[in-house]
Amino acid sequence: MAEEFEPKIVAFLCKWCSSAGSDLAGVSRMEYPPNVIPIQVMCSGSVSPLYILSAFKKGADGVLVSGCHPGDCHYIKGNFYARRRIALVKELLEYLGFDPERFQMSWVSAAEGLKYTEIIKDFVNALKPLGPQTKLRRNP
Amino acid sequence: MVKLEDLKKEAKRILKSGKVKYIIGYAKGADGLMPIPAFIKDPDGADDLTWNPACVHNLTKFIVDEKKRLKQDKNPDNRPIGIIVKGCDSRAINVLLQEKYIDREDVYLLGVSCEKTGVVDEKKLAKKLKGQRAVQIDVEDNGNFIVTTESGSEKIPAEDVLAERCIECKANFPVIFDIVFGEKIKRRVDNPFQSVEKIEALPQEDRWKFWMEQLDKCIRCYACRSVCPMCYCDECVVDTISFVVEPDTTAEEKAQKIKWIEKSPNLSENIVYHLTRAMHLAGRCIDCGECERVCPLDIPIRFLNKKMEKDAKNLFDYEVGFDPDQPSLVSSFKDEDPEDFIR
Repeated sequence: MAEEFEPKIVAFLCKWCSSAGSDLAGVSRMEYPPNVIPIQVMCSGSVSPLYILSAFKKGADGVLVSGCHPGDCHYIKGNFYARRRIALVKELLEYLGFDPERFQMSWVSAAEGLKYTEIIKDFVNALKPLGPQTKLRRNP
Repeated sequence: MVKLEDLKKEAKRILKSGKVKYIIGYAKGADGLMPIPAFIKDPDGADDLTWNPACVHNLTKFIVDEKKRLKQDKNPDNRPIGIIVKGCDSRAINVLLQEKYIDREDVYLLGVSCEKTGVVDEKKLAKKLKGQRAVQIDVEDNGNFIVTTESGSEKIPAEDVLAERCIECKANFPVIFDIVFGEKIKRRVDNPFQSVEKIEALPQEDRWKFWMEQLDKCIRCYACRSVCPMCYCDECVVDTISFVVEPDTTAEEKAQKIKWIEKSPNLSENIVYHLTRAMHLAGRCIDCGECERVCPLDIPIRFLNKKMEKDAKNLFDYEVGFDPDQPSLVSSFKDEDPEDFIR
């Protein structure tokens, strides 16, 4: 019997909020799918479109960018810049015909461990029916 | 009508008085109609200048090149450069000013208005003329072209041979200039984003198929990058010029250097290259269409940049190239920016 497809998600989490939020989920022993590879970045505003494309190119089935809620940024306005930039990347990927479900963004504060687990659960459930991501994967 | 005589007179005047270092304009090319960029240093040379709807080039690229040269020069000649700018080119100047890449004093802008028309698309014209060589092109009062070939002249409706970008042009007159030739008449534009909307209307899988067919062709000659007046980074993300590999460079050091994009032309790398280019030009591309014109494989690169322009307008109410004092698209934000896609 074939094994069920387990998507691989690369999550760019900002150090001050989302990463702390995922930590909270961990230390609180909340259960969520182990499909995420978290990458801590200093700010969601520091996530270059190249990080996202690179993750997809190296075979990620989904990419999540997560930062502080608007107004809570450690660097005052980094997440506002991120919001603009990510909106453009998302539009561009959709325009190309890439599955829009594979790329998501969220605001997760350091206290929202529960929200983080829910986001990951929903993301994994959305990715499972799509199967492996082959569109942007680097061809040999 | 742009009077060529006036243009030549002004060119002569500023060259004679030493107001400008040289003038970048258009001159008659060796191949019949299509003009070539010309660098005119002495007043007599100003007679070579020409202006017609075949002047397709965006000359602001040469300002960028000159600026790079000046940085190397020990005794730089800091006089301004005279440059002929169409509507789209003047917006490129605005973006360069906005990014503080050039100062207003660096350039003397001889604006020319495209008036009721725009520039012709070389390929469309060749197809229309079925192999005949055009020698002259005139504009009628209603904006249509009269093309003279070796065997006679022919009336051609503007829409048939106008470059795609001119059909979608928002301002076909210079928005910044020191002196302007021709009247400020706006060509009627029904929908500035019709090409983008045509692709957007396709189903997702067809869109993907369309783009993969196009991007698979790319041979990574970087002509689009070379011709773009906004691609002026000293180090491009696809090059690694600042990383010198010497005999004692260790394997670890080489491995540490991140290679975001491979240089070889294979599909997945081409996608990343073109997407990255589109992102870098978001809010900066003024739609001069040069990238598409120089592409040897006819990849519709413009459609990617136009999409970014459309999103900038629709999502963030940002228009490119009209105001040199506004902050750039990705280095500014508004509280009410859309965030319905964020959870």
